[in-house]
Amino acid sequence: MPRRARRPRASTLLDRLAAEELIVVTGKGGVGKSAVAGALARLVSGRGRRVLLLETDPRESLHQYLAVPPSGGEIVAVGPRLLLQNLRPSAVLDELVREQLRLDALSRRVLSSPVYRHFADAAPGLKEIAVLGHAFRLVRGLARRGAPRIDLVVLDAPATGHGVSLLAAPALAAEVIRGGPFGRMAAELSRFVADRGSCAIVAVALAEEMPVEEALDLQRMLAERLHRQADLLVVNEVLPSFGDESEGSDHDDPLVSLYRRRRQLAARQLARLRRDWRGPVAELAMLPLDRGPELLDAISDSLAAQLDRPIAPEPA
Amino acid sequence: MSPRPPSLIVVVGSGGVGKTTLAAALGMASAREGDDTLVMTFDPSRRLKDALGVGDEAAEREVEVPCGAPALLAAHLLDPRRTFDRLVTRYAPDAVARDRILHNRFYDHLSGTLAGVLEYMAVERLFEVAREGRYARVVLDTPPTRQALDFLEAPERLIGFLDSGALRVALKPWFDEAGRLRPTSRLGILGRGVEALLDRAVGLDVLRDMAEFFRAFAPLYGGFRERALEVQALLRAPETLFLLVCMPREEAIPDAMFFARRLRDAGHRLGPFLVNRVHPQAPAGRARTADGLHALEAARLLAWLGERDRRGVASLRALLAARGELVEVPLLDSEPSDTAALGKLAGILREQLPAGLI
Repeated sequence: MPRRARRPRASTLLDRLAAEELIVVTGKGGVGKSAVAGALARLVSGRGRRVLLLETDPRESLHQYLAVPPSGGEIVAVGPRLLLQNLRPSAVLDELVREQLRLDALSRRVLSSPVYRHFADAAPGLKEIAVLGHAFRLVRGLARRGAPRIDLVVLDAPATGHGVSLLAAPALAAEVIRGGPFGRMAAELSRFVADRGSCAIVAVALAEEMPVEEALDLQRMLAERLHRQADLLVVNEVLPSFGDESEGSDHDDPLVSLYRRRRQLAARQLARLRRDWRGPVAELAMLPLDRGPELLDAISDSLAAQLDRPIAPEPA
Repeated sequence: MSPRPPSLIVVVGSGGVGKTTLAAALGMASAREGDDTLVMTFDPSRRLKDALGVGDEAAEREVEVPCGAPALLAAHLLDPRRTFDRLVTRYAPDAVARDRILHNRFYDHLSGTLAGVLEYMAVERLFEVAREGRYARVVLDTPPTRQALDFLEAPERLIGFLDSGALRVALKPWFDEAGRLRPTSRLGILGRGVEALLDRAVGLDVLRDMAEFFRAFAPLYGGFRERALEVQALLRAPETLFLLVCMPREEAIPDAMFFARRLRDAGHRLGPFLVNRVHPQAPAGRARTADGLHALEAARLLAWLGERDRRGVASLRALLAARGELVEVPLLDSEPSDTAALGKLAGILREQLPAGLI
């Protein structure tokens, strides 16, 4: 077999993730999305990139994993080449208004107008675009003066709604809004998130029926609406094996029986993923650790071990 | 004095806590008690359809669930777009007005993506069903939201957006009746500022679509506003009970307490917390799980899971104190995928829930 020249920076999946500009970590609430986002951010910052870990939940949680106080909306340093921000999407929109209008008095009036508030609050896709736009401007050096230099943003995507609605928002907006700076920005963002060379999508799920269903659904919708696929699926909190794996093998201890059944459910879902999920899958074992730095360390180690292995080149 | 058994149970909570399954089981428990019950859910999962023994036709209408209960149990899967279309059809003054809305590009995007549409449509459909009065009890499963607040704010938000004079004022003067842009604005300095911003930011095409949409929607405002007020009254009625589902984890408590406070502050009646999937406690040294190297580790994990949930439940109990009750639903060895398994969960709920609730 003839050897093909490979890009030196992308010999493992982790290398490839580290070469991106944006990593969107998506999944339903309660699947451990934040921990995975935090671990990935730490791993890619370890590859020499300057990384911003971005969350948009009004209730901050990422700082708990990093043992720092809440960021309160500012970009704060939390480690070597690692920054953290909890972004309020409406704050990004307000900033855009100020930029566009330039006049202080005028923008104050616009910002306090109920017309604007209604529009910003309810216009479809606007907040999603604001968040993605924020990341885009940071990594492309287009943000306002004084913003820190960022190579890569890891976005802990909002748990509300389907992951694909965040990613498809720019394409939808670009379809409706054809002209003007906003239309152009939407079009540019939609190309940005559709390009696997600049934006990676990492789905997080549990080995349970509904989360697995949703992950497979995400994969279908990504193909349909963005003509791309996710780069990685992380299955979190996988129960370990409890001895005899065969179905219906009851143990005389009801506790062991219960967990064996649960383990069988998980094993069935993992088998389903192996069959139906196109692309790499990483598994994280359920660990007896509370939310915090120790858990983040363990997840980082486990992900590093699974992602830092040579990958087969994907068929074109 | 104990309050009347609720005729409407709204099951709320963050995503992934098992709301839908519990709502279905509550419905079954209710039918077993002899009350004709309807379960309304957004969950399109195959498993739940299996568990209830219904198919896709449940998205069109209420479908009877064969479960051997003495009363009727029916299921209805909600589809927001369908409900929105139905509303437009009902409130549009004529077929022309209706089609103008249904075929508007902005409507197309709005009905699928506007924050709160899903939630609003749930209460809309609920209201229709409640008015028809065919069921003694309706159990409503709400869409997953991170903080579970969107559901309550949705009617107000949507009405604010649709009904708002604000947007109409903003858009109307831009275009004449033929949809051409007017040469001058009559909005004054503020209007010109907004106009300049929107124009520069989104271009005129989309504004024309929006203007058209709001003009087409104008005759519907009255109906919508009235409905929103009635829906809010229904959600605050003494016969309506909210059940909050949460996980037995300490980190889930702040969200749950916050939501409970919001519900009470807004004048809603809140029932016991349903703490779902509580892992059993494993006495030290008891779980001989496997032979060999990993036995110790597995035993440690099981002990930790039981201890983690015990801690979570204890903290929640301490916080609730006199303010409310708490019902523990244990982790089951499978997720219900037929009516028999769902019946088992219904039995657990019946046993755990305070008397008079169902």
